Amino acid sequence: MKLLVIEDEPSLLQSIMEYFTQIDFLCEGVMTYAEALRKIDDYNYDCIILDINLPDGSGFELLKYLREFKKDEGVVIISARNSLDDKITGLNFGADDYVTKPFHLSELNARIKALIRRKYAHGIDILEAGNLKMDLAARTVTCENQILSLTKNEFNLLLYLINNRNRVVSKQAIAEHIYGDETDNMPSFDFVYSHIKNLKRKLKEKGCEDIVQTVYGLGYKLAI
Amino acid sequence: MSKPLLQRNTRYLLLWLPVVLLGCTLLFFVLMRMQAHHMQEEQLFLKQENVWNVFKSKEGNIDLHVTAEYDITQGSNNSAIELGEPRDTTIYYPDKQKWLPFKILTSELIWNNQAYQVTTYVSSTEITHLIIKVFLGEALLFVLLLIAIVILNRKSSGLLWKPFFSTMKKVNEYDITRNQSLVLPAETCTTEFDELNTAITNLINKVNAAYYNQKQFVENASHEIQTPLAIIRSKLELLINQPNLTEKVASLLGDITDATNRLSQMNKTLLLLSKIENNQFPEIEEVNISQMVERLLNNLTAYYDNFPQVESKIETDVILNANYSLAEILISNIIKNAVEHNLPNGKIVIHLSPSHLLVENTGPSLQTNPELLFERFRKDSHQTKTTGLGLALVKQICTLYHYTVSYKYTDGWHQIEIIFKQ
Repeated sequence: MKLLVIEDEPSLLQSIMEYFTQIDFLCEGVMTYAEALRKIDDYNYDCIILDINLPDGSGFELLKYLREFKKDEGVVIISARNSLDDKITGLNFGADDYVTKPFHLSELNARIKALIRRKYAHGIDILEAGNLKMDLAARTVTCENQILSLTKNEFNLLLYLINNRNRVVSKQAIAEHIYGDETDNMPSFDFVYSHIKNLKRKLKEKGCEDIVQTVYGLGYKLAI
Repeated sequence: MSKPLLQRNTRYLLLWLPVVLLGCTLLFFVLMRMQAHHMQEEQLFLKQENVWNVFKSKEGNIDLHVTAEYDITQGSNNSAIELGEPRDTTIYYPDKQKWLPFKILTSELIWNNQAYQVTTYVSSTEITHLIIKVFLGEALLFVLLLIAIVILNRKSSGLLWKPFFSTMKKVNEYDITRNQSLVLPAETCTTEFDELNTAITNLINKVNAAYYNQKQFVENASHEIQTPLAIIRSKLELLINQPNLTEKVASLLGDITDATNRLSQMNKTLLLLSKIENNQFPEIEEVNISQMVERLLNNLTAYYDNFPQVESKIETDVILNANYSLAEILISNIIKNAVEHNLPNGKIVIHLSPSHLLVENTGPSLQTNPELLFERFRKDSHQTKTTGLGLALVKQICTLYHYTVSYKYTDGWHQIEIIFKQ
C-alpha cells in the first residue's frame, strides 16, 4: 500500500512515516503544497494523509485539485482546526475522513485501514487475524468457527485491536476511539480495563487465548 | 441612603419651595400693608385739602363736625396731638354696636388770621378687609404654584432624564459574553447625555476589544498547542511500540501518557469553551433531554467500576431547543461530576422536568468557595486528576442558552440545579 503524507511539521511527519512504515506501508512524505502537487501529478497513491494548514497553500485546494482530475485516492484530513465547518468543508471537497490533532497514530491507522477496505475491498467485509474472523457487514466474530457474542463496544474494541495488530495501543486511544467525546474530562480510563477483561474472557472461552496482551500499564496489544 | 433621582428632586423642592414661597408671602404682605398705609395717608391729605377748600369758599359756613369725615375746631393746638402725622383711632357706631378703626390726620391751618385744627377721617375697615382678601388669594395662588411646580418638575425631569434611563437599561442588560453590540443613540438633544453615551460607547468598544483579544488568545493558544501535543502523542506511541521495553521505562511512559492526555483534554475543553463563547454552535434542534439523560446515564454506568446507586425521576419527552452536542456535553458533565465527587458506595439522585434538571450526589463538603466552583480551573484541593473545566463548561453552556445553574450543599448532598425556563 502506498501512502503520501502531507504535513508541514517535520517532527510529526517523521512520526507518521515511521509508524506506517513499521506496519508495512510504502510511505512518502512532503512538507509543502508545491511538493505535494508534484507528487500527486507524478504518482498514484492508495491513500493520502493531508494537513489543511500548509505554509504555501491550503490543503482544501489540494483536495479540490485532486478531485477535479478524477484521482480517487482515499484522503484523510488531519487538522488542528477542530471545527465542524472545517470538517464539513473537507468532506464536501471529497475527503474520506477527518482526524483532529492531537490524534493517536493507532486511530489514524484504524481510519486508514477502514478507508482502504471501503475503497478497494469491493464489498468483501471479512477481516481475518489468526483464528479470528470478523464479518464487518454482519458485525459477527468467529473464533475457530465458533461465534463469539460480543457487545457493540467489545466488537469495536476488537476491530480496533485487529486494525492495529501487533502494535501496542494505549488505553487513552482505545477510550477515545470507542467512546469518543463522552470520555472528555474523565480522570481515569479504568473502564477500558474492564472491557478488555470481558473481551479476553470471551475469547478464551472459544479457544483464542492470550491473543490480547496487556503491556505493563500502558496499553494492549493483539498479537498474532 | 440613595433614592431615585425624581423622588430626591421632589423632596428637595417640597422642602425648600414652601420656605421660599412663605418668605415671599410675608414680603408681599408687608409690602401690601405699606402700600395700603401710604394710600390712606394720601386720601387723608386729599380729604383735608378738599374740606379746607370748601370751608374757605363757604367762609366757614359748613358743618364743622361730620362724624367719621372731618372735624374743624378753632384755636391753637394745645393737646399732645402730633400735627401732620396720621394716627389710628376708633369710633363707636351705635347702630352696629361696634368700634370701627379709622385713620385720622390733624393739621393746623390758618384762615383770616385764625388758627383752625382740621382733622380728617378715613375708614381702615375696608382696607384691612382688602389686605386680608388679597393675602388669602395670594396664599391660595402660592399653594397652587407649589403643586404646579412639583408636578411640572416631575414631568419635565422624567422627560429630560429619559435618555439617561434608557442608557442605564441598555448598559444593565449588556452582557459582554454574548457578543452583543451596544447601540446608544448619539443624539439625545441633551449635550450631557450625548457625552455620556459617547463615553459609554467608547468604553464598551475598548472592553469589547480587550475581551475579543482575550478570547482570541485562548483560541489561538489552544490551536497552536494542538500540533506540539500531536507530536508528543505520536512519539509516545512510537516509544511504547519499541521492543524490549523495561517495566521502569513503561511506567515512566505511562505517566507521560497520562499527563499528555490531561493536557490534551484541557486544551480541547478550552477550545470548546472559546467556541461556545464565540457562538460557533449555531445549529439548534429539538433535543429530547429525557432520552439523552437515560442514554448518558447508561453509557456512563459502563465506564465506572463503582458507579454510585442512581435514583432517578425523569419525566418523559422533555424537549429543549439547543445544539445537540452542547446539550450532551452539559448533561454528561453534570453526571460525571456527580460520579467523580461521590463517596464510595454513594448515591446519585436525578430529577428531570420540563422546567429543571436537578442532580444530587453524596460527597464530602467542598474545601473551596462554592461561588468559584463554576470558574475555570477551580477544583477542590484533593482532586488532582480532573481538569477543573467540567463545571466551567456547564456554566458556559447554561449562559449561552439563558439557563440558570446553581450549586448547593446540604446535609452531605451536593446539588446542582439547572433551571431551563425563567
